[in-house]
Amino acid sequence: MKGYLVLESGEIFAGRWHGDPGRVPGRAGEVVFNTSHGGYEEIATDPSYFSQIMVMTAPQMGNYGVDKACWESRRLWIDGFVATEIQRSRRDAGWEQRLLDAGIPVLSGLDTRKIVLGLRDSGTPWGALVAASGPDEAMVKARELIQEKKAGEKDWAHAVARRELEVRAGRAAGGPRVAILDFGCKENTLRELERECSEVAVFPGRAPERAIRDWNPSGIMLSNGPGDPADVREATETVRALLGWKPVFGICMGHQILARALGASTYKLKFGHRGGNHPVRDDLTGRVYVTSQNHGYAVKADTLPSSARVTHVNLNDDTVEGIECAAKKCFSVQYHPESHPGPRDARLLFDYFLNGL
Amino acid sequence: MPRIKDLKKVVILGSGPIVIGQACEFDYSGTQACKALMAEGLEVILVNSNPATIMTDPEIATRVYIEPLKVAFIEKILEMERPDAVIPTLGGQTALNLALELEGNGVLERLGIRMLGADPDVIRAAEDRERFRRIIESVGARAPRSEMVRDFQAGVELGEKLGYPLILRPNYTLGGGGGGVAYSREEYERMLLAALKESPTSECLVEESILGWKEFELEVMRDKDGTFVIICSIENFDPCGVHTGDSITVAPQMTLTDLEYQDMRDEARRIVDAVGLATGGANIQFAVHPQTGERLVIEMNPRVSRSSALASKATGFPIAKIAALLAIGYRLDEIRNDITGTTPSCYEPALDYVVTKIPRFAFEKFPGTEDSLTTQMKSVGEVMGIGRTFKESLMKAVSSMENRDEGLPDVVFNEKLLSHPSSQRFYQVVQAFREEKTVEYVHALTQIAPWFLEQVQAIARFEGEIRAAADLDAGTLLAAKRMGFSDAHIARLRGAAAKDVRERRWEAGLHPGYSQVDTCAGEFASETPYYYSSYWAEAAAPGPKNEKGVVILGSGPNRIGQGIEFDYSCVRGVKGFREEGYHVIMVNSNPETVSTDYDTSNELYFEPLTEESVLEILRRTNPLGFVAQLGGQTPINLSHKLAAAGFQMLGSSLESIDLAEDRGRFVKICKELDFKIPASGMAGSLAEALAIAGTIGYPIICRPSYVLGGRRMEVVENADELHSYFDRHGEFIRDEEPCLMDQFLAGALEVDVDLVRGEDWTVIGGVIEHIEEAGVHSGDSMGVLPPQRLKGEACRRIEDLAGRLAARIRTIGHLNLQLAIKDDQVYMLEANPRSSRSVPFVAKATRIPLIDLGVKAMLGKTAAEVRPSRYDWRAVDTVSVKGVVFPFKKFRDADSILGPEMKSTGESMGRGRDYSEALLKGFISSHVQLPGRGEVFLSLRDKDKRGLLPMIREFLDLGYTLTATSGTAKFLYDEGIDCVPVKKVHEGRPNCVDRIRSGKVALVVNTTSGRRSIEASFGIRRSCIDYSIPCVTESHAAEALLIAIRRDRAKEFTVSAVEKMI
Repeated sequence: MKGYLVLESGEIFAGRWHGDPGRVPGRAGEVVFNTSHGGYEEIATDPSYFSQIMVMTAPQMGNYGVDKACWESRRLWIDGFVATEIQRSRRDAGWEQRLLDAGIPVLSGLDTRKIVLGLRDSGTPWGALVAASGPDEAMVKARELIQEKKAGEKDWAHAVARRELEVRAGRAAGGPRVAILDFGCKENTLRELERECSEVAVFPGRAPERAIRDWNPSGIMLSNGPGDPADVREATETVRALLGWKPVFGICMGHQILARALGASTYKLKFGHRGGNHPVRDDLTGRVYVTSQNHGYAVKADTLPSSARVTHVNLNDDTVEGIECAAKKCFSVQYHPESHPGPRDARLLFDYFLNGL
Repeated sequence: MPRIKDLKKVVILGSGPIVIGQACEFDYSGTQACKALMAEGLEVILVNSNPATIMTDPEIATRVYIEPLKVAFIEKILEMERPDAVIPTLGGQTALNLALELEGNGVLERLGIRMLGADPDVIRAAEDRERFRRIIESVGARAPRSEMVRDFQAGVELGEKLGYPLILRPNYTLGGGGGGVAYSREEYERMLLAALKESPTSECLVEESILGWKEFELEVMRDKDGTFVIICSIENFDPCGVHTGDSITVAPQMTLTDLEYQDMRDEARRIVDAVGLATGGANIQFAVHPQTGERLVIEMNPRVSRSSALASKATGFPIAKIAALLAIGYRLDEIRNDITGTTPSCYEPALDYVVTKIPRFAFEKFPGTEDSLTTQMKSVGEVMGIGRTFKESLMKAVSSMENRDEGLPDVVFNEKLLSHPSSQRFYQVVQAFREEKTVEYVHALTQIAPWFLEQVQAIARFEGEIRAAADLDAGTLLAAKRMGFSDAHIARLRGAAAKDVRERRWEAGLHPGYSQVDTCAGEFASETPYYYSSYWAEAAAPGPKNEKGVVILGSGPNRIGQGIEFDYSCVRGVKGFREEGYHVIMVNSNPETVSTDYDTSNELYFEPLTEESVLEILRRTNPLGFVAQLGGQTPINLSHKLAAAGFQMLGSSLESIDLAEDRGRFVKICKELDFKIPASGMAGSLAEALAIAGTIGYPIICRPSYVLGGRRMEVVENADELHSYFDRHGEFIRDEEPCLMDQFLAGALEVDVDLVRGEDWTVIGGVIEHIEEAGVHSGDSMGVLPPQRLKGEACRRIEDLAGRLAARIRTIGHLNLQLAIKDDQVYMLEANPRSSRSVPFVAKATRIPLIDLGVKAMLGKTAAEVRPSRYDWRAVDTVSVKGVVFPFKKFRDADSILGPEMKSTGESMGRGRDYSEALLKGFISSHVQLPGRGEVFLSLRDKDKRGLLPMIREFLDLGYTLTATSGTAKFLYDEGIDCVPVKKVHEGRPNCVDRIRSGKVALVVNTTSGRRSIEASFGIRRSCIDYSIPCVTESHAAEALLIAIRRDRAKEFTVSAVEKMI
């Protein structure tokens, strides 16, 4: 069966459609690419990739099948998966099958590099994956899906966040109690916290300030999450109200929300950073980490208040990768110290945060 | 300035002659480092004994010394040069060991020279296996259970404790030399004995077997501030048990989850930190249990390596260059990524393609040797295929191998051959799937990871589809091309001609696209024109004519007979054309080379050197022409097909090439020019051969048509041997490809001549006089320039003949000739219409820039422009000896006797003020240990006895004692020379082999001829190899060795830098 990736601009890429289009129909999303060699499960189960059609630059996916230890949440969040080849194997359930079971369209058998070079030059547009008999039909189907998607809810962080408070016991009896605001939190952030904390409370992203104060944590984390931080209005207000009360550590969306709460603004990067090889310089230690990244927006350095400073810089494009505001006892990074997938060079940031509590 | 202050002059140590386990990858790394450090404004002093390298071109460094890589010589150079530092991490194990010695005996300290890039303690920590294991364990990693054995008995007990199979790893040896897998006690004891002998410290690590585990390698870099990056992850197709140099390997790794991969990465980082590697590159090998995921650390090399060359080519990240810059104090984030031009080097390359390396072997060169792969490396070269998918890259690598048939050969399936690793096993895997065997079945026998097997299975199944398709429609063709099937392979499956498939494909508009190796999977724009083809990419359009475009075809995988020398020609050729203002496009498939460095040429195509792939490149680049005479026989063999497709060949015409290569036409030309040639004939069958032998008389030198490196070339002494020759090689002989039979000029002196001819000029590069007499392949014989025995008049006659032949066949560019001189008669033996193996040696010996002249000839420069009279090879005041290095040690049952079939892997160069000094250095650089005293054992054939008398007397005079086999001893006794007779092998025990093995003998001279005598004396030569005792098998070589020994006693030698080319 023929399948197509159609971009909003009208660009179209033909490939092989996986599965039965009756059971797995087409979907629209933001078309992005990721340069990680592996970690397809972590990526697909990371809520930060909500509503995105994932084009993998590495050509071969599904090589090691499925391993639940790699999952970053209980479900898959992406709206499409595109790779040059996806292994279909009798050895195990198979990655392809898992995607299809989750209703996620899968496209392979095409030159993903060409798509990537286009995205690099034009930015990450809306697009859709559709099964069709030819490009004309694909175009029509895709337009409809894209329109529908664009009209939907914009606060993506809210869409993926927990609706109820979840309290988990940590493994360190005398350790700190950490509250985390969930905007699409990855499981490994929680694993890192559980190891050193006595208790971890995962609050819905829109949890009221009162609820957090009542739980009285030793510190607060702001999780990663999908979408435009400007659309996450309530949490930004909540964070602003909490600033200075307890130490705060933000990751990715959490970093952007923290920056906005401090008064800075954010902007959309042309095609974002998604992969596991971006060099970041930590100006506090002078060290360079190779980091795991996944973000489409960034903090504008010159809009930060004078009390805050940029602590981490992306060495590829000099964008802001981390900030700190000592007066308000908060810091944050744009990249992913919890990795999964990607290098763990920056893991120590968790210790830095927890030791300060 | 981040660079270390007060650093003005550094010494880079090379790796010496090409040997198995240490090949031209170190020319690549050293050359890259020289370029980088010169660009930093440093004075760079390079030392290497290998003349075939690009790095020893005098232009590469501030000063180049072609001198033995031994402490005495290096010490002298250091005293003269007084550098600030030495960088030992770019020249393989040789350089590392040498630096350790220089440090250990206080030379570095005495001269105030620091070591950069690695400190001695780090080298020892990584190299001393026991210490390394302690470090591994201190960071929570695990190494295989093992113990260091220092004496045989303790080793035997350990073997019983650990159980078999066991892996033996002698300390401080190259490419795992002397190591291997022992499956039984008996095998273990034999191997342990040899391993203890092989290790310079008489130590051997004996460890638990990890056979069948998955094997991985990480190429890492670290800077002084602790920034740590993985440049490349490599996964071995063959599981543990096969040396990684002999494995098919794939980058990036394919079968680990990110969790497993990051665990490995973290561990690598902890190991690098714990070992104390402050800056530079290293590789770490891991074994991962296929079921439990348990991970073991196998080894670490704290230097650039063969795999770092592969990783550099696979990713575009220039590891050696960056390592050199880190060594002088830069940080990774201060060094720009050349490829993108915008981002820093402190990142990890992302690949949107797959790379497969396949090693190339030479078992056929060593009859009697079992084709079996173990932890001791045996391959002599490698190819790399880049494709969008593993299948495409694998199949492109297969095409790059330059096998007789392009693509996957049909083989007879044999379960035993499938079960045991060998150079042919991969083809058995393919065959198994052709015969519908399951992945489970093949996995059970091979332990190859199921993912890889599924890929191979898909290829084998698609072969079936191609075969079965009613019609080769565009869809099937595209699918096949995307899997990497070559046209020739598809044609074979369809029973069609490759040309038909190609035409079909072109009709369907199917051409490969060319994608960039850009280090970042397309994330950043890259201007670096480093390309690979893929049918996943959009078909390339034919390029507009580029009148300044020149495509240079490389030499493909290294093999015995065609190696680094041709890369030298190509790289120098690239430079030559660029200097003349041309846009040079390089094509090659060998990842070890300098020619495949992205900044050598204007455009690099990392592609198979096949008709199909080169035609596509020519179509896309549409150059002025292509150059076939620099890359050895590989491009020459393609030249007809490329020219037939309408592309212009630069230099000698097809007709000119044909006149040199077609034996019949060549003989005719020689007769026409009134040259003497050995009587000859061509036989399509044994009967014809016997008839020809009747007219030309024995001995006869026989070889099949179209040979390289003297493959299957033998001296036949009588009719019995001729029968035997046809029994063994008859399958390569038929009417269309007859056996070439030449009268063998016994006792003749042979010479090599390299010349360059333009339309109206000729430059003779030099005449190399072989030290061994005729009968030893020119690649295997030592040589000297200028000639020492040839008279001036004979030399002039040779030059005259060479010039006339070149003019007659209208050579434009390079011509290499082999001639023989017997009884004052000069015979023309052979002509090669291309740059040759000896060109770099000649150029460095005479300072005549032969390759540059070849470029000028190809571009039509006239005598007025070239001024050929400037180049006079006789004007040199140094004597240069070419030494030779052999791989016999790695092939357990191989015979070291020299003959017409080439067996050497590398060469060295000894430069001296006179012949003896040059010889001394030539021998030392070729790893011949000159015995200072002791027993010389002689076993001579009758015709050599009298001639060697003066030499034998001199050995006595120098204080050596003599032993000999009975016949030789009797002859000496009759001549009044005292000599102890020793039994031959068949005469009972203790015999001469026992004597050699007991360590009593310091030097062996064993000359012999005739199949039977050669077989009978095999044990003598083999025991010498096993026990590293010098063994000379030819009388003139023996005399030369004596000259060197005499000179060695004088303990007086000079070193000097190579002068710049004229």
